[in-house]
Amino acid sequence: MQEAGAHFYDGLTAGRHEVRVALSGDRQALQITGETLPEPLRWPLQDLRALTDTSDSGRLTLTRLAETEDESPRDPARLVVLDPALIAWLRRTRPALFRTDLRKGTFRTVAKYAGGAVGAAALMLFVILPALANTMAAIIPVEREVAFGKTVTAQMERFLGGSRLGSLRCDNPAGEAALDAMLRRLTAGREMTYEVELQVFDHPMINAFAAPGGQVVIIRGLLDAAEGPDQVAGVLAHEIAHVESRDATRHALRAAGSAGILTMLIGDFTGAAAVAVMGEQVLSSAYSRKAEAAADVFALEMLAEARVSAEGFAAFFDHIDDLERVEIPEYLASHPVTAERAAAARDFAAGQEATRPVLNAAEWQALQRICD
Amino acid sequence: MGISYNGVRSELFGLAFRTGLLTVVTLGIYRFWQKTRIRKYIWSSVNAGGDTFEYTGTGLEKLLGFLVAVVFLAVYLGIIQIALFYFGLNIMVDPEEASQAQIIGQVAAIYISFFAVLPFLLFAVYRARRYKMARTRFRGIRCGMEKGAWGYVLRALGYMALQVVTLGVLTPLQTFRLEKYQADRSFYGSQRMVQTGKWTDLYRYMKHIFIGLGLLVLAAVSAVMELYVLAGVAGAVGYVWVIVGAVHYGVQSFGYLMRHKTLGEVGFTAEPATGQVIKTYILGGLLLGVLASVIFGMVGAVVAAFAPMLVEGELPIAFFALLGVAYIVALVMIQALSLVLITQPILAHYISTIRVTNPQALNRIAQREAETGVDAEGFADALDIGGAI
Repeated sequence: MQEAGAHFYDGLTAGRHEVRVALSGDRQALQITGETLPEPLRWPLQDLRALTDTSDSGRLTLTRLAETEDESPRDPARLVVLDPALIAWLRRTRPALFRTDLRKGTFRTVAKYAGGAVGAAALMLFVILPALANTMAAIIPVEREVAFGKTVTAQMERFLGGSRLGSLRCDNPAGEAALDAMLRRLTAGREMTYEVELQVFDHPMINAFAAPGGQVVIIRGLLDAAEGPDQVAGVLAHEIAHVESRDATRHALRAAGSAGILTMLIGDFTGAAAVAVMGEQVLSSAYSRKAEAAADVFALEMLAEARVSAEGFAAFFDHIDDLERVEIPEYLASHPVTAERAAAARDFAAGQEATRPVLNAAEWQALQRICD
Repeated sequence: MGISYNGVRSELFGLAFRTGLLTVVTLGIYRFWQKTRIRKYIWSSVNAGGDTFEYTGTGLEKLLGFLVAVVFLAVYLGIIQIALFYFGLNIMVDPEEASQAQIIGQVAAIYISFFAVLPFLLFAVYRARRYKMARTRFRGIRCGMEKGAWGYVLRALGYMALQVVTLGVLTPLQTFRLEKYQADRSFYGSQRMVQTGKWTDLYRYMKHIFIGLGLLVLAAVSAVMELYVLAGVAGAVGYVWVIVGAVHYGVQSFGYLMRHKTLGEVGFTAEPATGQVIKTYILGGLLLGVLASVIFGMVGAVVAAFAPMLVEGELPIAFFALLGVAYIVALVMIQALSLVLITQPILAHYISTIRVTNPQALNRIAQREAETGVDAEGFADALDIGGAI
C-alpha cells in the first residue's frame, strides 16, 4: 500500500492531528506518524475495525479492538481515512474490518436477562394477575358487577348492530314465558348468588354469552340451529355456570391487567397488532380452558338436578360440529368444541334416569318464535 | 463552522427497508438493532467542519435495557391497570338509568391508566435523551448527560399542571425551562453546555397561534350572531392558522434555544425556516400518500385478480399467507418511505441551518468517562416512545 494522509483523533482531546499512515516494516501494523503526535503509533492490522452503517462511502473511520469500559470493546481513538486507495486496500485485505466483537459472557448475560424478563412477565400473566383477578372478583359488590354486566351487554348489542339500548331484544310474550320456564326449571331449588337476567338478541350469529353479574344473552341464531329445547337448556346451564363462578368478571379483570404487559412486550413494529391479538387469544384460551371445563361439570350437575337429559347438550356439540365450521367461528372461538366435551356429556347422560324435556312442544315453538 | 447533512435517500431507504423486514421476521426482536443501525447512518451523515458524528450505541445493550424495563413495568403496569380497572368497576352505573355524564365518567375512570404511566413516559423521555447523548461522539470525544430523570419528571408534571390551569398561556415557560433543565446537564467531553436566553422571548413565536385562536373566537362570535358564512370562513382559516402556528412555534423555538446554547466559548447560530418544514410535511406527505396507494393498489389488484376463485373457495391457505406477507412488506416499505420522505429531510433542514461560532475552542475540550448505563433507553423502548429515530 501507498503511504497516505489521514486525520487522527487521540480519544483524549477534540483536537485534530494531521498524520501520515503507512504499513510498518514487518507488514503487521499501520504506522501512524504526525508532527503533533508525541511519538509514532503502531496499530496492528488484525485489531483494525471500522465504523459500520455510515453514510459517506468516501470516508472510513478506523478504530482498534481493545478491552475498554465502553459499550463496545473499542479504543476511543479514531483514524479518519479519506484516501480512496487506502480505503480500497483496507476493505480488500481486512475481512474483519466491519466485525462486531462481543465480550466474553455476552450470551450468558443475554440469557440471564431474557430469562428474568420472561420469568417476571410469566409470573405476572399466569400467577399474580389471575390471583388478583380472583380476589377482586370475589370482593366486588354484586350491584357493581350487575351494572358492569349491563354495560357489557349494551356494548355487545351495539356491536351486533342494535341502534339503541334494547332494540335487539326479542320480546314475544309467549317466547319470553317459555324462556322463563326453562330458566326456572334449571335453577329451581338452587341457592343462586346472582339473579340471572336472560334475554335473546335478534341476530343470526350462533352464540350465547354470560356477562358479569348474571346477564346471560342467547343469540337468535343459536335457537334456530338447536334441534330441541334440551340442547338450548344445555347451553343455558353452561352459561349459568359461568355466571355463578364469576368467570366473566374475572376474565375482564385479568385482561385489563395483561393487555398493557402484552403490548409492551411486543412493541410497535409492523404486524405487532396481529401478534398481540394472537397472544391475547392464546392467553385467554389457556386461562379459560379450566373455566370451560368447570362450567361443563357444573352445567351437567344442574341438568341432572333439573331432570333434563344431558343428551341434548352432547347432541348440540355434535350438531355444531356438523355445521360448516367457517359459518360459526364465533361460538368455536369462545367455546372450543371437542370430542371429549361431547363424550363427557354423553357418558353423563347415560347415567341419568327419569328425565323429561325441559319445555313441551308448544313452549319450544314459542321460544323459537321469540323474535317474531 | 457550518454543519451539513449528507444522508442519501436511497441508502437510508435500503437500510430501513432491509432492517424492517428483519424485524418482522424476528417477531420484533431485531427492532433494537434496526434503530441502532438507522441512527449510525443518520449520525454519520452529519458533517461539521469535515468531521462526522458517530453513534456508538449497540442493539444488544438496547435489548438488555428493554428487558430490565420489562421486568419493572410488567409488575407496575399489571398491578396498576388491574387496580384501576377494579376502581372503574366500583363506580360503574347501570346503563339503563345512568346519565350520559355518568357513562363518560366511568369510561374515563377505566382509561385513566394512562396517567399511571405518564411519570414513566417522562422518565423515559429524559433517559432516552441521556442515552443518545452518551452514545454520541464527535472527533472521538463523547457527549454525555448527567443523571436527573426524576427531577425532569417532577418539573414536567408541574408544568403540565400549570398548563392545564392557565389554558396553555405559559407554553413558552414550559418549553424553555424543560429544555434548559436538559441542556444544562449536557456535556461535550469535559465541557458543560449552558442554555441562556429568556423564556419570555419565546412569546414572539406564538404570534401565529394567537392569530389563529383569534380567528376561531371570531368564528364563534359570528356563529352566535348568526353570520354563518363569516363563521365558516373564519373557522376554517383559523383552524389551519393554529396548526401552522404550532409548527412555526416548534421550529422557531428550536432555533432560538439552539442559538442560545453555549459550550464554553463555543456558540451556535440556527435559522430553521418554518416554510421549509411545512413544505416538506406537505410534499413528503403527498408523495408518501401517492406511493402508499400505488403499493397497496398492487396488493389490492392481486386480490381482485383472484377474487372469482375466492368466492368459489378454491384458493389454498398459501394464497392468504402470501397476501399477509405482501401486506406486511408493503407496511415496512411505507415506514421506510416516511423516514426518507419526511423525517430525514426535516432533520437535514434543521441541521444544515446550524453554524458553530468560535470552533477553535473545541480543540481544547478533553474526553469524558465512558458511561455504561445498564438500562440504556429500555423504558422508552418498552413504552413505545421516541418515534422513528
